[in-house]
Amino acid sequence: MEWVIFGFLSAWLLVSVVGAVLVKNPVHSILFFLSSVLAVAGVFLLLGAELLAGLQLIIYAVAIVVFYVLVITTIPWEKVKRFEGVYKRELLFGLPVVFVLFSLIAFTVARGDLAEPIGAIEDNVREVGRTLFTSYLFPFEVASVILLVAMIGAILLGRKEG
Amino acid sequence: MSLEKACLLLGILVFLLGLLGVMVRKNLITILVSTEIMLNGVNLVLVSVDSHLGRVDGQIFALFVLTVAAAEVAVGLGLIVSLFRLRGYEGSSETVHLRD
Repeated sequence: MEWVIFGFLSAWLLVSVVGAVLVKNPVHSILFFLSSVLAVAGVFLLLGAELLAGLQLIIYAVAIVVFYVLVITTIPWEKVKRFEGVYKRELLFGLPVVFVLFSLIAFTVARGDLAEPIGAIEDNVREVGRTLFTSYLFPFEVASVILLVAMIGAILLGRKEG
Repeated sequence: MSLEKACLLLGILVFLLGLLGVMVRKNLITILVSTEIMLNGVNLVLVSVDSHLGRVDGQIFALFVLTVAAAEVAVGLGLIVSLFRLRGYEGSSETVHLRD
């Protein structure tokens, strides 16, 4: 049963990622990206990471995708239309590189052994919260500073030149 | 092959497809979308290894990756909007410097 769900989700994810990379129109590309984000949230749920699946839906599928669409509406459309699609020559050279890289990594992963499992967790959300606010408290605070700096930087960059 | 290993391979494939997108796309906005796809692949790898090990540290790192992705989108889209606004935008192949 797990494998059936995994096959469905991975087919959905790969189709939407390839669509987002190769489709011509930028808005269609963003919609394919939204579809791939939903598929990734499904894979997270399958792997038992419920909190991260919810955060993925809230942050990626709501905040980031809406932000992209808003930014596209503020840019003149003919400027967006002038450069769309992919470079053909780079695609011709990049596709074998990606294929060879993936086969090398997949060979290594399929041959090798992962580390031994340490323990099992029952309540994902509680365990994530406890570890985040004890072991990772300082990186958590630093992440808030990063968000503040990014907000100030975005305001400074988007300001009209007076 | 276990389910976690299959998810690991899926994440690596998603990362490499995003890398291909960064290489081949013409529009700057779609290049930024491809970097988001790469970050999604990294998250997938972190969570699948984490689910194999039975720990939550990888999920916390994926949470930080989400934070960095949000910050990167804010700054990157600000840069792209000002690039579009400054002079006639010429596409990713001709944008070689950020100073006027």
